[in-house]
Amino acid sequence: MGTAATLQNLKLSTRFLDVTYVNNKTGAEVMALENINLDIKDGEFICIVGPSGCGKTTFLNTVVGLLKPSRGEILLDQKKIEGPGNDRAMVFQNPSLLPWRTVLDNVLYGVELQKQLSADKKQEAKEFIEMVGLKGYENHYPHELSGGMQQRVNLARALTVNPSLLLLDEPFSALDAQTREFMQGELLRIWSETKKTSLFITHQIDEAVFLADRVFVFGARPGRVVEVIDVNIPRPRDLHVKRSPEFVHLVDHIWSIIEKESSKQGFDNKGK
Amino acid sequence: MTQSNLQAVQSEPKIKKKWKLKKESKTYMISSVSVLLFLLFWEIASQNEWINPLFISSPIEIVKAAVVMVQEVSFWENMKVSGYEFIAGFALAIFIGIPIGVFSGWNPYFSAVVNPFISGLYVTPKVALLPVIVIAFGIGPASKIVIVFLMAFFPIVMSAQKAMLTLDQNLIKAARTFNASEFQIFKTIALPSTVPFLLNGIRLGIGQGLIAVVVGELFASTAGIGYQLTSNGQNLQTDRMFVGVLVITITGLILTTLLGVIERRFSSWRPDHR
Repeated sequence: MGTAATLQNLKLSTRFLDVTYVNNKTGAEVMALENINLDIKDGEFICIVGPSGCGKTTFLNTVVGLLKPSRGEILLDQKKIEGPGNDRAMVFQNPSLLPWRTVLDNVLYGVELQKQLSADKKQEAKEFIEMVGLKGYENHYPHELSGGMQQRVNLARALTVNPSLLLLDEPFSALDAQTREFMQGELLRIWSETKKTSLFITHQIDEAVFLADRVFVFGARPGRVVEVIDVNIPRPRDLHVKRSPEFVHLVDHIWSIIEKESSKQGFDNKGK
Repeated sequence: MTQSNLQAVQSEPKIKKKWKLKKESKTYMISSVSVLLFLLFWEIASQNEWINPLFISSPIEIVKAAVVMVQEVSFWENMKVSGYEFIAGFALAIFIGIPIGVFSGWNPYFSAVVNPFISGLYVTPKVALLPVIVIAFGIGPASKIVIVFLMAFFPIVMSAQKAMLTLDQNLIKAARTFNASEFQIFKTIALPSTVPFLLNGIRLGIGQGLIAVVVGELFASTAGIGYQLTSNGQNLQTDRMFVGVLVITITGLILTTLLGVIERRFSSWRPDHR
């Protein structure tokens, strides 16, 4: 699996991407991301890891269109990203479900906002609810579900809009360790069924290695790509993979990069 | 976790619920006894003239007066007048207060326009405006409608504003990534979020509105429960006066209970209301 992509199967690419923001307190301009150049192929599962403050969430917010690059551009299916669009959907760290809506109506919320609501979409939503393992819970309210189940709804909502690119912002970080491991396996199963190109952000190195085809390691201040790591562990992967020497070696390697990056910024890791 | 442990954990909520029900009926009983004891003490204090019965009447006298009064045409006329004043003023407070509160909470510019008036009038004792209101609107129902509106308006407007300022930013961010328009965010997130706050504001508004009706009628009027209270008081008919007070209390209790039912229905999705 090479890292170079041909034009046909290129899904997302960023060119000379800089993102700056103005610090609210000092008024100074801060460079959050500097010169990000990356290519993601159709159907790939990409994870981004890095020390806190490395701009991984900023990167995701720029791809989804909530932030504007100060230089460079992002191309999705050869089209420049100018703002939020129907071709992307995000799964959030916080489930962000409407508490007064049932599971089914929450799953349909994204489609409804994009004005694509139809009987077909309703049927699709039900299929995705089944795919994420919530069949029978269509008429439950979010507060009746566990944290893991709420994240399944979050995922089903994103899948139902049928995005060209699926963005996941640390979706399992608020779950307990056991549920998280289980959800990682579930995500891989769902991904293998949908074949959606996925961009997954996490601060957990083992999570990244377990899920990804390639791991982009970001460095901090300013955020930039330090290293791209191919994960050549065959699929389908189950949790036993996490004990294989190959897996442990990759995790160790990424950890040493992040450690080096953290110490470079004075080891304080403070703020974002 | 063993099987028996698991069962123990699962059956725990049931036991808790039973115990809670028992506790509820227990507190209900204690409350009833407490009220009955109070009424008994009142009756005895009155019969033995520990306190002059002319000032405090007695529960039995009040019930007797109530039986007489509900057969009088004038009592129902007064009820109708007060009811009309309250409903009209309160409806105005809702129909003007909710939109102003919601839009000023949503739009900072509109908020800048109306907030000086809202914060200023909020701390003004509205009853101090009664003389002016009576001059402008006369001693008929109109002046009472205005004072009810003024007193009920502020709790409603401020609860609506507060609701808009405490919106869940995570929900708004999620909606934006799905390409939501401002109007869609307003309709699907902001408006539903306000419901529990609004119901709370309306509850406070009911209390204020009832005070306004009575105080307005006490100040200057030709009919209404407050008018009846004053004339009964001037004729030293304390028993009839207490009936008037009771009518207002019961009205308030009925309205807030009804609101509680609506509140539970609308906020069944809130974990803290389960």
